[in-house]
Amino acid sequence: MKKLLAVTACPTGVAHTYMAAESLAKAAKEKDISIKVETRGAVGVENELTEQEIAEAHAIIVAADTDVLESRFAGKPVVRVPVAQAIKNPAGLLEEALNMQPAPSADLGKQVEELKKQRSATRSGPYKHLMTGVSNMLPLVVAGGLLIALSFVFGIHAFEQKGTLAAALMNIGSGAAFALMVPILSGFIAFSIAEKPGLAPGLIGGMLASSTGAGFLGGILSGFLAGYVALALKKYIKLPRNLEGLKPILLIPLVASGITGLMMIYVIGKPVSHLMTALTDWLTGLGTTNAILLGLLLGAMMAFDMGGPVNKAAYTFAVGLLGNHVYGPMAAVMAAGMTPPLGLWLATLIAKKKFTKEERDAGKAASVLGISFITEGAIPFAAGDPFRVIPSIIVGSAVTGSLSMAFGATLQAPHGGIFVLPIPHAVGHVGLYALAIAIGMVVTALMLSVLKKPVAQL
Amino acid sequence: MNILELLQPQSILIPLSGNDKVGVISSLIDGLAAAGSVTDKELYKNAVLTRETTGSTGIGFGVAIPHGKSAGVTRPGLAFAKLASPVDWDSLDGEPVKAVFMIAVPESAAGNEHLQILIALSRKLIDSEFRDKLMAVSDSEALTSLLATI
Repeated sequence: MKKLLAVTACPTGVAHTYMAAESLAKAAKEKDISIKVETRGAVGVENELTEQEIAEAHAIIVAADTDVLESRFAGKPVVRVPVAQAIKNPAGLLEEALNMQPAPSADLGKQVEELKKQRSATRSGPYKHLMTGVSNMLPLVVAGGLLIALSFVFGIHAFEQKGTLAAALMNIGSGAAFALMVPILSGFIAFSIAEKPGLAPGLIGGMLASSTGAGFLGGILSGFLAGYVALALKKYIKLPRNLEGLKPILLIPLVASGITGLMMIYVIGKPVSHLMTALTDWLTGLGTTNAILLGLLLGAMMAFDMGGPVNKAAYTFAVGLLGNHVYGPMAAVMAAGMTPPLGLWLATLIAKKKFTKEERDAGKAASVLGISFITEGAIPFAAGDPFRVIPSIIVGSAVTGSLSMAFGATLQAPHGGIFVLPIPHAVGHVGLYALAIAIGMVVTALMLSVLKKPVAQL
Repeated sequence: MNILELLQPQSILIPLSGNDKVGVISSLIDGLAAAGSVTDKELYKNAVLTRETTGSTGIGFGVAIPHGKSAGVTRPGLAFAKLASPVDWDSLDGEPVKAVFMIAVPESAAGNEHLQILIALSRKLIDSEFRDKLMAVSDSEALTSLLATI
C-alpha cells in the first residue's frame, strides 16, 4: 500500500495549519489511505516526519505558506500547494499525490551529493546530535577564523593597538564569533535531542563550558547533558492539564538549565577544563615526532571512511581546537581530507589502463571535489574496488597529515579547500602546506597504479 | 485553563447584524476589547486585515476564522459571532459566512496552552458534526456548552 506524508504550515500557526492537517487526515481516513501529517505551527513542530518515513513514502504533500525544510524531501515526488488548498480539496490532493511518479536521479557530482544526503539521513542517535551541533557551529568558526586571519594582514600584533581596524576585526572574530562557538555547539546538540526546550539549557551549558575553560569538550558534554535532561523532563513529567502550559515555558527551561549549569560548575567543568588545558598545552608544545604521529593518525582517519563517523571524529576534534587557538590539526585534517579525491584523479591520469572510461571521466569531477575539501568524492571509486582504493587513500592522507604537522602548517578556517589558501594569513606556511597535499596525492596515485589491476582483469 | 476562559461573555455576539466582512471584524474586535483581550484595536485590526489579504480565512462550510498575532493583544482571546444574515467572505468554497470565530494572539505567545486550545478549536471546525451543532447555536449558553465539549 502506498504511504503518503504531508506537512502543513501557515504564518500565524494557530488555525490553517491544523485545519489543513485535520482535513487531510479525515479525507485519507475516508478513502482508507495511510497518511501522516506533520504540523509546523505556533507551538512548534508536532508529529514530525522521520527520515525513515520520508524514505518509505510514495509522495509528500506540502500544504504550506511558510518554509517547511523542504530539502528533506530531495528526490521524492512532492505536491506543493498553498495551505488553504488542503482545507478546500483534501481528497483531490491525496489523489494527485498517489498519482505522482518516483523521480529518477544521475553524474559524480550529483551522486556524491546524494551520498552525502543519504549519509546525513541515516545518521542517528548521539552521532546525529553531535553533527547537528557541529554543522551549526561551523559558520561561526569560518567567520571567526577568517576575520582573525584578516586582522593579521595589518601585522601579527596590529590588533593590540586599540581603536584600529585590526583590533575591530580581532574583536569580531575572537571576541564574538569564537566566543559563540561552544555555546552554539552545545545549544544545537541539545536542540537536536530535545528540540526547542533543549536549546536554552544547551546554550547556557555551553556558555559555562566556555567560561570554566572546558572548551569544546565541555561544550559537547553540556549539550548532551542539557538535551537529555530536557528530553526526560518533556517525556516523564506529567502535569495536570491546567498547568501543562507551564511545562515548555517555565519548568523545562528552569530545571534543565539549573541541572546542566550546576553540573557544569560543580562536576564537569573543572576536570574537563584541566583536560582541555593539558590537551592544548600538549598540542602547542608538540615535538616533531609526536606531531608527525598525530598527523598520521588524523590523516588516516580522514581517509578511512571518507566523510563517515571516523572522518567526522577527526574533523570535529580539529574544529573544536580552533576555539582554543590551536590551528595545526585543522591544517592536517583539511589537507588529508583533500588528498583522497585528488590522488584518485591523479591515478586516473597516470594509470589510464587501470580505470574504465567512466572512472576517468569521474576522475575529473573528483579533482574538483578534492580541491573543495569534499572527501566523499572518493567514495564512488572506493565502492567499486574497496580493498585496493581504501588502503591507497589512507596511506596518502596519513602522509599528507603528518607532513602538514611536521611543516608546522596552520589553518584558521574549518573548510574551504584550496580556496582559503589565497586568503592572507588563513594558512600558515602555505607553500609547504601545498607541498604536503601534493606529496600525499602522488603517494595515493602511485599506490593505486601498482595495486589496481588493468580494467580487463577486474 | 479551558476554552471558556478565552471566550468572555462580552465577545459572544449572537446574533450580529453586519453588512460586510470589515464591519463584522470591527464588531468582533470591539467585543474582544470589552473582554480585555485587545488593548490596541487599530493595531490588532491591521494584523487581522493583513492576514485576510494573504488569503481569505473563510474556510468554507459557512465558517470564517479571522485571526491575528499582534502587540495590540495583551492576552489570548476568542470571539464568536452568529450572523443575522450571511456575509460574503471570499471563502474557499465561495459560500457566504454565517458563523465567525475570531482569534487574538499576543505577539509574544509561544508554545503555551492558550494556543493549544485555539488549535483544538481549529481542528474541531473540520468535523462536520461539530459544525452542524455550531450552526444550530441560538444563544451564548448553547455555544458555551458546545465548546465545553472540546
